[in-house]
Amino acid sequence: MHGSNVEQHRRQRFDQIVGVFHQDMYRYAAWLSRDKAIAEDVVQEALLRAWKSLDSLRDDAAAKPWLLTIVRRENARYFERKRLETVDIDSLTASQAALLSEQPDDDLGAMREAMYSLEDEYREPLVLRVLMGLSTNEIAEQMGLKQGAVLTRLHRARAKLKRIMQAQAAD
Amino acid sequence: MNCEEYKQTIGADPKFDGGAGHLSECTECQTYRDEMRALDMKIGRALALEVPEIAVPELPDMENVVSLPERRRLSTPTWFAMAATVLLALFVGVRFAGNDGVVYESLADEVLAHVSHEPASLRVTDIAVSDDHLRDVVPANIAEMDANAGLITFAQTCPINGNDVPHLVIQGEHGPVTILLLPDEMVSEAVLLNDENSHGVILPVGDGSIAIIGAQEEQLDEIQKQILQSVMWST
Repeated sequence: MHGSNVEQHRRQRFDQIVGVFHQDMYRYAAWLSRDKAIAEDVVQEALLRAWKSLDSLRDDAAAKPWLLTIVRRENARYFERKRLETVDIDSLTASQAALLSEQPDDDLGAMREAMYSLEDEYREPLVLRVLMGLSTNEIAEQMGLKQGAVLTRLHRARAKLKRIMQAQAAD
Repeated sequence: MNCEEYKQTIGADPKFDGGAGHLSECTECQTYRDEMRALDMKIGRALALEVPEIAVPELPDMENVVSLPERRRLSTPTWFAMAATVLLALFVGVRFAGNDGVVYESLADEVLAHVSHEPASLRVTDIAVSDDHLRDVVPANIAEMDANAGLITFAQTCPINGNDVPHLVIQGEHGPVTILLLPDEMVSEAVLLNDENSHGVILPVGDGSIAIIGAQEEQLDEIQKQILQSVMWST
């Protein structure tokens, strides 16, 4: 195949994959960083990295976990570069607050706040399970955990959210 | 399957549709399942943020990109520097950051605090956890356990000093006895544990250790022997 045709084919493949999964990439980045502006930066970096290493993706059926892994690493790199402090829900920047301001109704807003306040180690597996539909096996691989640990974290995450929501309802 | 096991399972996966036998007799668990399923729907809706228009960055022409060489191995001076840092940390004294965000002065403090953080584990019961569940919590690549360990009534993976470790409970003469398998926590000698209500020990076992904690009046000697005979690290 001629060089430029190879490049064109590569670009088509990339556009196809990204077209399907860019929303997942953004949402994952947003819930990892808890900041819409950072999420956009992370996704941009992740897209660039995905493009450069596209040839390492042997099977397009595995594109979703592959892209999510890239997003996860880019998010970690971003925070490493910026040395960002952990976020306090009471002192949010505009970009952080924007994540919570997008509330179709009060109930959903309360749940977003509860998700936001959850520790990273509980929020992330829940996002991967509920939003991304990854299996516990895939989550374990993604997060470098054992399957039992993922199940425990999922259980605890839901129990914590339930408690937070009950407390909010009681207020 | 008992209530505790069912709730843990449904909490980890609200779509779980097993445990019909237990569910048909337990309205509390039926309610819990319905609550978890409703909660999951709400979580799904809350997580689905609106996605802005994301511009694809300018992508380099890969035909002209030369592959980078493999990541080089760390040089000897780098290894020396890393080793020196580790030794310095050991010399100065390591502080343990627990899962709850609290920084513990020692492994012993974190272990004792963890026991009280898991009230569900301290149930007095004669119902053993299933073999399958036990295998999930203590996978073969961590350790092998034989039947000498005793009646295990609670098994869960818990974070201790940043590692997910098996947290088991067996029933002693004076109540539940907590066992924490710590394959990555090496101690040079037995560390005695003591607080208001409980006592115990962290025993060195191979390259790791095992913590055993029971009520103040519990005689732990026999239990220690049982556990040491029944647990073997896989690595």
